Amino acid sequence: MIFSHTFKTALTGLKTHKSRSALTILGIVIGITSIILIMSVGQGAQNLILGQIQGLGSRTIAVIPGREPSGPSDFAQIFSDSLKERDLTLLMRKDKAPTVAEVMPIVFGGQTASYGSETYRLTLFGASDLISKIFDLYPAQGAFFTEEDIRGRADVVVIGSKVKDKLFGQSDALGERIRIGGRNLRIIGILPKKGQVSFFNFDEMALMPYTTAQQYIFGIKYFHRFIVEANADDAVLQTVRDITSTLRESHNITDSAKDDFFVQTSADLASRLATITNVLTLLLVSVAAVSLLVGGIGIMNIMLVSVTERTREIGLRKALGATDRDIMRQFLFEAVMLTAVGGVIGILLGAFLSFATALVLSRVVGLSWTFSFPVSAALIGFVVAAGVGLAFGLYPARQASQKSPIEALRYE
Amino acid sequence: MSAIIEAKNLTKIYTNDGVETPALRGVSFEIQQGEFVAVMGPSGSGKSTLLHILGFLDAPTSGEYRFDGKAAEEYSGNEIARLRNKKMGFVFQAFNLLPKTSVLENVKLPMLYSDVPEREWGARAEKAIASVGLSHRLNHESAQLSGGEKQRVAIARALVTNPQVIFADEPTGNLDSKSGQAVMEIIQRLSEEEGRTVVLITHETYTAEHAERIITMHDGTIASDEKVYHRHKATDGLIK
Repeated sequence: MIFSHTFKTALTGLKTHKSRSALTILGIVIGITSIILIMSVGQGAQNLILGQIQGLGSRTIAVIPGREPSGPSDFAQIFSDSLKERDLTLLMRKDKAPTVAEVMPIVFGGQTASYGSETYRLTLFGASDLISKIFDLYPAQGAFFTEEDIRGRADVVVIGSKVKDKLFGQSDALGERIRIGGRNLRIIGILPKKGQVSFFNFDEMALMPYTTAQQYIFGIKYFHRFIVEANADDAVLQTVRDITSTLRESHNITDSAKDDFFVQTSADLASRLATITNVLTLLLVSVAAVSLLVGGIGIMNIMLVSVTERTREIGLRKALGATDRDIMRQFLFEAVMLTAVGGVIGILLGAFLSFATALVLSRVVGLSWTFSFPVSAALIGFVVAAGVGLAFGLYPARQASQKSPIEALRYE
Repeated sequence: MSAIIEAKNLTKIYTNDGVETPALRGVSFEIQQGEFVAVMGPSGSGKSTLLHILGFLDAPTSGEYRFDGKAAEEYSGNEIARLRNKKMGFVFQAFNLLPKTSVLENVKLPMLYSDVPEREWGARAEKAIASVGLSHRLNHESAQLSGGEKQRVAIARALVTNPQVIFADEPTGNLDSKSGQAVMEIIQRLSEEEGRTVVLITHETYTAEHAERIITMHDGTIASDEKVYHRHKATDGLIK
């Protein structure tokens, strides 16, 4: 029996039971739709996150105290006080790290700010005057702290827009004094509403000279991060090497396995986050795959009913010369066609829904979200749908092919 | 003439829930090429079982069956399918046409499983339909036809691959006498003009007497096997 005839025969078989065919593929449609939706939204989320990292600049390098976590259980933040003032000075020396353009130390922690009777829990961020340049951040009112403020451990603070709203409401905040960690701080700048920028929500932060934060607020002599900028895009790797060797020397470390710090580039971060979003997407896709399994069982069920119902037809075809193989192919083809059609509908529906999601996220929620439709997802969706038909159609098709023609013809 | 069908001591025992029901208890006969044989008997006499075995739709419990000089067990599954397709044509009491399918498509069906090139399908099917006098019904759906017309379509379907042997299982059983007469006329013509071997199952003596020879079955054995001396000619019209 020629392929095109198998196709026609199967098509006729399906057309004769239109509404049943439609209901049968519903499970597949839903499964494929959700897979496409998840993959597309996952891709969109990844683009969003990577876009934010790129917003940091590809020359940006973070030096983080402690050992690099090597697995999900490796949370031990030992040596978390390893980054010291001396390291900062060394990293800024041209003979140690010639490609380093800037180094900004950071300390941070949760603190409660109060003004009059109002209080607000915020993140206090101690940084240097480079913060404006590195995060592309400029106060809407007032100005950032200066080098002098840092040297003099000035009691000054720049607050985010939400902090301002919570503590001051509509009234003017510039020049006022708020209390954080038992210290009176003068507000010298107010940030514009920015929302989330590169993992930091500056709206909910208070920024101050790191020296003041270290000495008067946190009472520590180490740093939580160094943010280093290389002087050129192609100097990033060299800079990472220089930082590593300088800090090892400074910390008297000879064995790299005993490092008490690690260096992360934007690219590292991007690939790490891409891995996380990929794993999450995969997880969700495998949940959606369960619905395909259920859909497949539905197909098998209906095909079995169909085989029983069409016993007579099977018997007749055999009496007219159909081989077991012909019958098997016909029913297998029907199952694959059903699921393939379900797959195509699911792909279209998934594309439509993810487009709608992108629209809502960008227009209503205000994220810089772009619609992305991975072609690979569509391809996988189609192949998986057809595969489900093949896998779950096999058993009913075998049942059909093994019907003895006489049993079949006797069946009323 | 050579024997196309040879049955030697065929038995068939159906086992249902451990209870054995013999349907055939040792049946032997030969059918020559071109012969028109009616197998007659009351229901339960084993005549349908016999036809199913002869048509390779069922296997005997014991005994030897040779078709076209070759023992049944020597045919493989695919060879049997090809045999049914090329050498045998089946006509059933219940017509067994595909629903929601045109007369033309129904008649084309056996060629789907044959090696007849597709370009010849239309012409061959139309020729077969013309031979049963239904050319004007070509594109009607099978459900729109009368019982007699359905059976004629079924005969056209059986003929389309030009088989040597026609197995007809109570072909007039569901028809009024006039339609039955028309069907018998076609069947008789297949035997006399086209030289095909016809094996007809019926429980009516009148219908059986259209054949050249009648095998009468009783309780799974052959009660008699006689030549018909006063054959009915279907073309002579109904005998009341």
